Amino acid sequence: MTATQLDALRKSSTRQWKEGSIHGVLMTSALLSILTTVGVVAVLAAESSTFFREVSPVEFLTGTKWTPLFDPPSHGVLPLLCGTGLIAVGSGILALPIGLAIAVYLSEMANRRRRRIVKPMLEVLAGIPTVVYGYFALTFVTPCLRWLIPSTEVFNAAAGAIVVAIMILPMVASLCDDSLQAVPASLRQAAYSLGATPREVSVGIVVPGALSGILASFVLALSRAIGETMAVTLAAGATPRLTLNPLESIQTMTAFMAQVSSGDAPSGTSQYNSIFAVGFLLFAITLFMNWLAQRVLHRFREAYE
Amino acid sequence: MTSLGLGDNAHLFQANLEQRRRRSARFRRACSAFTWLGVGTLFVLLGQILYQGAAWLGWDFLTSFASRFPSRAGIFAALVGTLWLIVTTAAISIPVGVAAAIYLEEYAPRTRLTRFLELNISNLAGVPSIVYGLLGLAVFVRWLSLERSVISGALTMSVLILPVIVTAAREALRAVPPSLRDAALGVGATRWQCTWHHVIPQALPGILTGVILAISRVFGETAPLLVIGLPIFVSRTPSGLGDSFTVLPLQIYNWTQRPNHEFQNLAAAGIIVLLVVLLLTNLVAVVLRQRTETES
Amino acid sequence: MTDAAPGPTQPTEGRAGPDVQVEAAFTCRGLTLGYGDHVVVRDLDLEFPEKRITAIIGPSGCGKSTLVRTLNRMNDFIPSFTKAGTCLYRGVELYDPSLDPVLLRRQVGMVFQKPNPFPKTILQNVTWGPMINGYTGDLRELAVESLQKAALWGEVAARLDQPALSLSGGQQQRLCIARTLAMQPDVILMDEPCSSLDPVSTSRIEELMDSLRERYTIVIVTHNMQQAARISDLTAFLEGGDLVEFGDTDQIFTRPLYKRTEDYVTGRFG
Repeated sequence: MTATQLDALRKSSTRQWKEGSIHGVLMTSALLSILTTVGVVAVLAAESSTFFREVSPVEFLTGTKWTPLFDPPSHGVLPLLCGTGLIAVGSGILALPIGLAIAVYLSEMANRRRRRIVKPMLEVLAGIPTVVYGYFALTFVTPCLRWLIPSTEVFNAAAGAIVVAIMILPMVASLCDDSLQAVPASLRQAAYSLGATPREVSVGIVVPGALSGILASFVLALSRAIGETMAVTLAAGATPRLTLNPLESIQTMTAFMAQVSSGDAPSGTSQYNSIFAVGFLLFAITLFMNWLAQRVLHRFREAYE
Repeated sequence: MTSLGLGDNAHLFQANLEQRRRRSARFRRACSAFTWLGVGTLFVLLGQILYQGAAWLGWDFLTSFASRFPSRAGIFAALVGTLWLIVTTAAISIPVGVAAAIYLEEYAPRTRLTRFLELNISNLAGVPSIVYGLLGLAVFVRWLSLERSVISGALTMSVLILPVIVTAAREALRAVPPSLRDAALGVGATRWQCTWHHVIPQALPGILTGVILAISRVFGETAPLLVIGLPIFVSRTPSGLGDSFTVLPLQIYNWTQRPNHEFQNLAAAGIIVLLVVLLLTNLVAVVLRQRTETES
Repeated sequence: MTDAAPGPTQPTEGRAGPDVQVEAAFTCRGLTLGYGDHVVVRDLDLEFPEKRITAIIGPSGCGKSTLVRTLNRMNDFIPSFTKAGTCLYRGVELYDPSLDPVLLRRQVGMVFQKPNPFPKTILQNVTWGPMINGYTGDLRELAVESLQKAALWGEVAARLDQPALSLSGGQQQRLCIARTLAMQPDVILMDEPCSSLDPVSTSRIEELMDSLRERYTIVIVTHNMQQAARISDLTAFLEGGDLVEFGDTDQIFTRPLYKRTEDYVTGRFG
């Protein structure tokens, strides 16, 4: 190769500069996501550290009274956790089995036409803004509950749990459907060729085969239920209370945050700081659940590859 | 039931086939009943909203400001505010999100940093929206002193939907066959020329669909805006990014909260408007998707 | 048969051609199969004799898989599947509306192209079918017996409770055969059972089939000429949905009646 031929192949500096700067811009955009995470953690840590200067973390995590507005205030987060737990468990009891049943129907039993009807409807259900579910809870679910059980309070955990269940139902159904569909068709054929009925194939082979994916979807759905704000703020009330009675008014962590911030708490007060402490706890819980779901899913992938 | 002759191995089994068939049929009916229960809920929900709200809809409702009197109240400020929020959020989040997706799909080396980035983005998508509200409140509203303005809201929303946009855009980019990239690079294109001239045009409809669906989340998101403390009563529409504003879901939230049934009906009317807007947006996305599916 | 050397083996005594009267397990008369408007198998007349290994050979897309999947009604799960003509199993029309496909499949077992053990333990894989069907004997005994018949017992005796997916591909396929044998079927259908296996595993499966030939009616679909020649008693050659030739394996491979058969059989060898 002569020198001129090699020259022709040398890297052009303007082209390199252009490519490099584009690369830089794109990479910066991607790195912004890390900045967001750092921002969330930093904000939560910084603001709640002010809070924890006044309230000891032990008192925060073990106290059974949440009355930040009283004098003297009491900052025990357990009643809020209990409220959140009540909503999550209640909606889970309703939405997880029903969601799985819908997924089994869609994946194993419905013909293509039914599938084409039901799937978009579930997508619509999933796309409805959460504030609408709050409206539905207050104006429809609660009156129904009060008609059935007259002792039900106007704001109650049950109505919140029911609408949160409706909210997470499409998510459970579609994620479970995905995992059921990922089970190889050859397993179903093998099961049928052994003389199994459709129920035995679904319950005995397909669902166990997709178990990790199903469990992961359950965890994700519960995480959604825990982080849900508008529906529970509207329906479940604003009474932090350690109770397991779903017919009573309660307050969730998210509802508390919504209540305080819409009340325009001035910066620097312990009230204002307390929402960051509660937010931190909420963030930690949901992050843990997402991590858990990913771990479970990871095992699932290994099983079939 | 036709008996199967000679080779019958039935004596080895107590198959109870009749009973098993019945159980299978019952199971099938149960699953199908739950499915229609889910679908039925959608219709009850929509029916309730239409029943309560339809009568309150009208031109006045769309063009009036909020009021203490239900009969005079409207959603004009909220509607205009929502529009401002959407446009600003889109202007911020789409370029950044698509750029991040292009980086991750087309440029990023398979290093630990990239894997961490991906993990980070998928984790961000699982963070409850109200937590983004806290971020917005502390960083944009207080630290940067942007107050409860359009820009604060838009920045908060951008942070919220960024992971959704990145994920959607990446999926669209991944659908472009690698052979196309090989062909472009093979004739001497640079990475960027290959991306700009071949990959992006091919992926554009998919990116658009994903982006529209992601942006449509902004219409309905309420919690973060509630947390950054947007006012409910706004008597004028914003004229700049620094102005105070309110949005439709927040107006609905406020009306729903009132014990007065007439306000709750107003909320239903507001919901109808919100759902129609959402429906139209999604329709655009679906049409776009179907078009690309028939083309390819 | 212990060696897996290629090439047709000498005909053994007692292998019956179609001209010898043996009871037929399946009788197809004017059988036409298809998906939607697309015809896959056209006007087929064929008898699968009892207690024999019948091989179905032919180029891909000739309809051989569709045919074998009709015999235990696995095609029921494809909505567009269509069938005309008759196909009798021991004199009973397979598609008679009163026939229960679940009962049929209990007698007509199937081994698939790719090993497809359930994501359960080795033992559970074998016992699942008999269990759901209410097997009256001892399930563990049955499992051991089936694994022995499938020539897998020695390799898995110590690890019955390990996941079946931890086995090698060849072992998995023998497990699938054991799973089928546990149902004590009358017929075993095999749809290219060795196509995803290495030569050593393939020869083990072939030995296994050889040991099963006295007790079961076996129908095997294969694209491997040598395999058909080595193990089957009878061979049917399908091309483009038509049955070109059906006869004694030895005759098909050494003295085919039709040019098409000869071309296919020799083409693959050459």
